[in-house]
Amino acid sequence: MLERLFSLDYRRRRLAAKVPAGPLRDYLETPFVARKADCRQLEYVALDLETTGLDPKKDAIISFGWVLLRGNRIDLASASHRLVRQHGAIPEASAVIHQITDDAAAAGADLATVMAELLPLLAGKVLIAHHARIELGFLNTACEQLYGGGFLIPTVDTQRIAQQWFERRNRSYRPGELRLGNLRNRYNLPRYRAHDALVDALAAAELFLAQLAEREGNHPLPLKDLMLRP
Amino acid sequence: MEVELIEIREFLASHPPFDQLSDEALDHLPRELTIRYLRRGTPFPPQDAGQNCLYIVRKGAIELRNPNDELVAKYAEGDVYASACLPHDPAHTLSGTAVEDSLFYLLPCDRLQTLRDADSAFNDYFTQSISTRLRRAREILQDTPRSGGNLMTVEVRALIGRSPVTAPPTTTIQEAAQLMTRERVSALLITDERLLVGIITDRDLRSRCIAQGISCTQPVTAIMTRTLHKVTPDTPAFEALINMTRYNIHHLPVVDSGGVQGIISTTDLIRYQSANAIYSVGSVRKCQSVAELVQASAELPELQVQLVAAGASAYQLGQAISAVTDAITRRLLELGEAQFGPAPVPYVWVAGGSQGRREQTVHSDQDNALLLSDDYQPEAHGSYFTQLAQFVTDGLNACGFVNCPGGIMASNPQWRQPWRVWRQYFDDWIMRVDRKAAMLATNFIDMRAIYGDEMLHARLHAEVLRQAKENKIFLAYMATNALSTRPPLGFFRNFVLIGEGDHANSFDLKLRGILPVINLARIYALSAGIPEINTVERLKAAADAHSLSQEGADNLEDAFEFIGTLRARHQAQQIKQGIAPDNYVTPEELTPLERNHLKDAFGAISDLQTALAQRYQTGRFY
Repeated sequence: MLERLFSLDYRRRRLAAKVPAGPLRDYLETPFVARKADCRQLEYVALDLETTGLDPKKDAIISFGWVLLRGNRIDLASASHRLVRQHGAIPEASAVIHQITDDAAAAGADLATVMAELLPLLAGKVLIAHHARIELGFLNTACEQLYGGGFLIPTVDTQRIAQQWFERRNRSYRPGELRLGNLRNRYNLPRYRAHDALVDALAAAELFLAQLAEREGNHPLPLKDLMLRP
Repeated sequence: MEVELIEIREFLASHPPFDQLSDEALDHLPRELTIRYLRRGTPFPPQDAGQNCLYIVRKGAIELRNPNDELVAKYAEGDVYASACLPHDPAHTLSGTAVEDSLFYLLPCDRLQTLRDADSAFNDYFTQSISTRLRRAREILQDTPRSGGNLMTVEVRALIGRSPVTAPPTTTIQEAAQLMTRERVSALLITDERLLVGIITDRDLRSRCIAQGISCTQPVTAIMTRTLHKVTPDTPAFEALINMTRYNIHHLPVVDSGGVQGIISTTDLIRYQSANAIYSVGSVRKCQSVAELVQASAELPELQVQLVAAGASAYQLGQAISAVTDAITRRLLELGEAQFGPAPVPYVWVAGGSQGRREQTVHSDQDNALLLSDDYQPEAHGSYFTQLAQFVTDGLNACGFVNCPGGIMASNPQWRQPWRVWRQYFDDWIMRVDRKAAMLATNFIDMRAIYGDEMLHARLHAEVLRQAKENKIFLAYMATNALSTRPPLGFFRNFVLIGEGDHANSFDLKLRGILPVINLARIYALSAGIPEINTVERLKAAADAHSLSQEGADNLEDAFEFIGTLRARHQAQQIKQGIAPDNYVTPEELTPLERNHLKDAFGAISDLQTALAQRYQTGRFY
């Protein structure tokens, strides 16, 4: 609990001092974006993970999808989709959801390879995810297992932003209304048929653009207004 | 390679101009894009755009307005805004707004240029010249025969089966008959040295020799046809067929500078599938009663279906259908004269509207009038022409050319008058100068002689042309009428964008696309004293006379032909489905590319309407 009293960047420096040399320490050595920085000028990585379940301690990451945003633009050149090689069979239920078979997963890359590619991209940027707890939890576990230290990043959670929007207006909402597809619909965003990690990362990125555009005016919008409380 | 961003790739692949790109180019394209989101009410392109980009609307809508705040265009899903990449695009003066929350794919202009350089079909879409785009659109639409039959493109020379059988003028009739029997031909060409002087056919031997009791030892010159219709080897077969239908002839000599090359017959032509219907309708001359004519004209819809399937242009279709209608009209007049006796004074039957302009489709009503010699005495001759006009207009109505809603028919006594009265009518219309007079004159200026004393009409037409050309105020009223119908702005989703906030599910291709060109062409023709009636011919002549720029004439012709061909195809589909053909087209019937081309066509028409409005200052005449 005490951790929450410290700023995210302070915690980053402390963690960087503890973690052995490697991709995670390299990542942690880049300062985080200031909480006062203007949201419209920042760089983001929208990330989605497909996993075998919801528990980072027991379940595994099947695939990563990410795309970069610069200010209010999504840069599709950065769009990436990575399958992770599985040790053990993918539970049938999650195979059905993600349409990733054992064979496809066997052709994937090692988790360490993908993490080593992703961490430098995240350095100095803000993470975007829809219901970010899952992505943060699995990245944290992956870092602990691979690099012997936890994971930290300034994050905007598109689901949390939507929830705050309802709460600020004292509007009641059904949990279903916070689902990515339903929120996208509210902002007149297109319906995507496929659902892999990249499409969902892109979907969250577009939703974030819409949420950003909803904040009227051209005056700077500090990151802390949208950021997930650590 | 796994294609990532498959959703975006598929979206691009289903919208012009990206649908033109190769699979490989499409695989790579999504990675070239960035995505932006604009809330409703945001200026477009966004003020913080930075680098110039092409915008593809992925979701949502934008409006473009001119400096007078008039709506000029509206874009929705799949539409492309490229003005920022096209330095001379007139849309630069327009201001845009997102009118819905909108998501865009952006392609930087330099990347667009790379794609354009690599793919000429893709590049065509961005060609600055509307002329080039219209020309291509028309070619694509008309060069895709949907079934066999290439009568539209094949030349007459390809149909000449054998070297011609000829004989000198000194040949006796009997020798000619023997030669024809030996050579197994039904027509013999009579040549003097290499010069073609006449033709005799099996029928001539029967009707002009045996039936008339002429000795078969006489030379063939006694019975041969001397006034010959002939064609050159490079004549399109289709045109030859139209001529044969128009003049009711079954054999057509093919002649070039080297002399007679051969002869083609209707049999040669009907070997081509598409000719069946025109041949059977072309036989209207043989019909002995209105009932038989009704039966023959029932084939007209099938003729349109076949011609469209063979890739006929609107011009060709109009020529074909009008030729058949002319033949039916003539036959009705012959049957009428047979029933009521020969005409007491000379007259000419004139047809107006689409028949007059030779632009008919099966969905046309009748417009006609009777122009009588000044020898006409109402007491003595009135009842004869009343009967004749009623007989012919009723016959046409029975044949499917329904009565003109405006009552412009020879059965209406007002439009069945001697020459001097017609002359007064035109005097009145041209000198009275108001919009209604100009409208009436419009109907009758497009009249064409169909049957009877053609000189009566030619004399009137020449005087009217001279008078109209000199009367600038009359022309200004004509121009005001011509500009009363504007083409649509374009399309918005599955709607037609007619004007300010006005959407329609379907639109009238004739009213909104074809009539505006007909009206423009008529004014260009009248202002230069051009006698042509057909719209395409008027435009060509107007360009030659510098009454209209060559580019303007070409654009209007291409727009007219493109829209007309779309209409002909639409009607052919309705006929095939057993629906009565009409002019109402829904955007769903059109491919995205056709919608783009139609928008170009509308744009070309609109530009020339604006130019005409300035020339005649039509604003003063409303």
